[in-house]
Amino acid sequence: MTQDIRDTDNFDKTRKKINDIKFFFGNTLTSENKKAAIGWFCTYTPEELIIAGGFVPVRIFGRKKIIKSESYFPINFCPYIKSGWESLLADADNLKAIIFTNSCDGMRRFFDIASKYLDGIPSYLLDVPHLKNRDSRDFFTGNMDDMKKFIEKLKGEKINEEEIENAVKLINKKRKLLKEFSNIFYKSPDLIEIPAYYKVMELSMISDPEIFLDDLEKYLGFIGSIDKTSTKNGISLQPDQRNSPSIMIIGNFIAEDKLWEMLSKMNLKLASEDLCTSNRYFVKQVVTGDNKDLMESIAERYLNKPQCMRMADPGSKLAEIENVIIKNHIKGVIFITLKFCDNMLYSFPLLKQRLNNMGIPVLYLDIEYNNFSEGQIKTRVQAFLEML
Amino acid sequence: MGIKDRLKTGIQKNLNLRYIKRLLGIIALKPVLYAYGKTFPSASDKYLNIFTIESLKKAYSDNNRPIGYGSLFIPHELFHALGITPFLPEVMAGFTAGLGLAPQTLKEASSHWYSQDLCTFHRSASGAAELDLFPRPDYIITSNLACDAAQKSFYIHSVKHNIEKNFYLIDVPYRYSEESIRYLAAQIKNICTDICSKTGKKPDISMFEETFELSNELRKWAIEVGSLRKNLADYPSHFNGLNFILPFHGLAGTREAVILYKEIYRDLKKYSDKQCKEISEKNKPAKRILWLHLKPYYRNEIFDILYRENCRVVFEEINHVYWQELDYKKPFESLARKMLSNFLGGSIDNRIGVILKAAHDYKADGAILFSHWGCRQSNGGARIIKDSLKKINIPTLVLDGDCVDQNNSSQGQVKTRLQGFIEILNS
Ligand code: SF4
Ligand code: SF4
Repeated sequence: MTQDIRDTDNFDKTRKKINDIKFFFGNTLTSENKKAAIGWFCTYTPEELIIAGGFVPVRIFGRKKIIKSESYFPINFCPYIKSGWESLLADADNLKAIIFTNSCDGMRRFFDIASKYLDGIPSYLLDVPHLKNRDSRDFFTGNMDDMKKFIEKLKGEKINEEEIENAVKLINKKRKLLKEFSNIFYKSPDLIEIPAYYKVMELSMISDPEIFLDDLEKYLGFIGSIDKTSTKNGISLQPDQRNSPSIMIIGNFIAEDKLWEMLSKMNLKLASEDLCTSNRYFVKQVVTGDNKDLMESIAERYLNKPQCMRMADPGSKLAEIENVIIKNHIKGVIFITLKFCDNMLYSFPLLKQRLNNMGIPVLYLDIEYNNFSEGQIKTRVQAFLEML
Repeated sequence: MGIKDRLKTGIQKNLNLRYIKRLLGIIALKPVLYAYGKTFPSASDKYLNIFTIESLKKAYSDNNRPIGYGSLFIPHELFHALGITPFLPEVMAGFTAGLGLAPQTLKEASSHWYSQDLCTFHRSASGAAELDLFPRPDYIITSNLACDAAQKSFYIHSVKHNIEKNFYLIDVPYRYSEESIRYLAAQIKNICTDICSKTGKKPDISMFEETFELSNELRKWAIEVGSLRKNLADYPSHFNGLNFILPFHGLAGTREAVILYKEIYRDLKKYSDKQCKEISEKNKPAKRILWLHLKPYYRNEIFDILYRENCRVVFEEINHVYWQELDYKKPFESLARKMLSNFLGGSIDNRIGVILKAAHDYKADGAILFSHWGCRQSNGGARIIKDSLKKINIPTLVLDGDCVDQNNSSQGQVKTRLQGFIEILNS
């Protein structure tokens, strides 16, 4: 039995190694950015244009404790935005510019605050439509063109077609490898631990894509080599044989190391996710060729990627989730939202109803950001898993 | 017990659709309605109540189908032109507060998993919908204008009534530009064509002619009211500019809205003429307050305190006429321009522009921003608004509370903060 084979020293050693992200992503973690960075927040930001301009797109994770930020925003406001603002107040000097999106009410106000109170760092807001049709794609293509002009101003010269093409290739490759990695993770959750998985996700959003890709390729190469030598050392990337139920996580900007550690220790079998910090970022390629307009292809990709709750059509989002649940034999859903995210909060009544009809239990959690208190959440997750 | 209180207790005790319909059937009978109207202190209040009841009667009567739910900031001219009876759930949420029903509707919403962190206008409306207190809609038109809430909560209404195919979201762009107008106008046109194909009407610009004329008439009178108020030194105690949201939005494009705004003008004009005579006798002019965002719609003391303390709300930002005249020859473009001109859309600079101009035009001494719990779009701008007004030496009070849920507002705290602010104004 696979389980028996895995319970060996050899397995533990390999597992330890695989989860040593610092080791595999050493270059990514230590390389000094030679290129200037442009900050971004939302997965609807076309990174391709930032790269084409010669900049490094860096997602602001806002790992700062909220202190000064409180005097700019109300108490009941998205904690990711507050942390993001806190980190801009502290370190915005490292950025050449910041790109916001019209993703939600919170982000609109965040852009206002940054434009008013952040001296010397230019900010731009990209208007992302809520609809997904031909007209909205054309409209979005025009808006992206405007964003391109903003970047060209920073660059001091025009961005040419070839630069965009190269950027598309680069980011497409990143998406492809991240997808490969996530498939391995879902397949073998006892091999790759949850915190390691999300660490790689984070690095993919905050690092120079070329250096990161280099590291990721080597990492995947190592994982692949284990698979090939599986008979020799008793480890293989077989589907997880544990008897625990497959769980799906649905959330927004969930990037809470302590939460991942907690879930990992609880042996939670994460079989699918719908998160802004993971699959909503990397799923779906930009399809080029056939004389297609490049900007239009990029627009199409972003509008049709796994949609965020901000989009107009909750019905198709629910259908998307339903398909994933069926395909991956999900037995329970953990819905986890940062507090005060209206788009998420409004999605819950219908989701709950839909899951009820499917007979899938769901646990509702709302959390702060960077301020995770394990106690109560642990008890609730435990009770939920036991119930399954 | 007066007629109003009887109405209130009646509905509190019989919270169901049948009772509401029966009640409307009785109260909307002309003689009863006009007798009820007489209980109000001014003609504008009288007409406001009469027209509200008549429009509700229409929405609740099965003979007036089709019925369309509309969110506050869509151009309701669309409904009127298409012959659809509009029904505004957010306005209804205000009524749930006024009638003391919010505890029940909010509780119902919670049991359907609406988080308590959401705006109570939507939560209460959703609770009422779950309690089946609203008429069944045939169409739903909403938008992402001003806030994210409507597009989301209205979709849930469409699922409840199994009319997802008749749910339309107008996706309003962030910036005012010719491309935005084109994108928006095309959407409005598509919605119109789709609804017409379902109702069997021929889409034709002539249907917009009368509605737009009336809407322009309303616009004209609303501007007149605004101009008059710029120089009004005092107000009748019963006047509250925050009561006219339904006619300003939901009835735009109807004769009723025009009549009502004419009446508001007449009432205030009469009062100002009377004032001119008395003004010399009064030596201490009132403090002039600019009101930002909405107000609590349940019984509260805020406006009594202000009045007692010789403070007058001289303008409310929501009464700002932000749009240009509509042109029925370009109906979709006109409505698109109207939506895009809304100062609650896009950058906060749009709102700040309106606020600063109003502060100047209405000679405000101070501003009160009612910080309604859960309204991210408005409260998220509070800091910038406060700082911008400070630059022109106008103090701002950010008053925390809830427009619908009385239990989410501490009356004592509101009072203390209000009094503190009045002291600042008088110092
Ligand atoms: S988590 Fe929600 S509120 Fe926060 S930025 Fe994302 S969509 Fe907006
Ligand atoms: S109060 Fe704010 S959140 Fe609520 S409906 Fe109005 S704009 Fe939206």
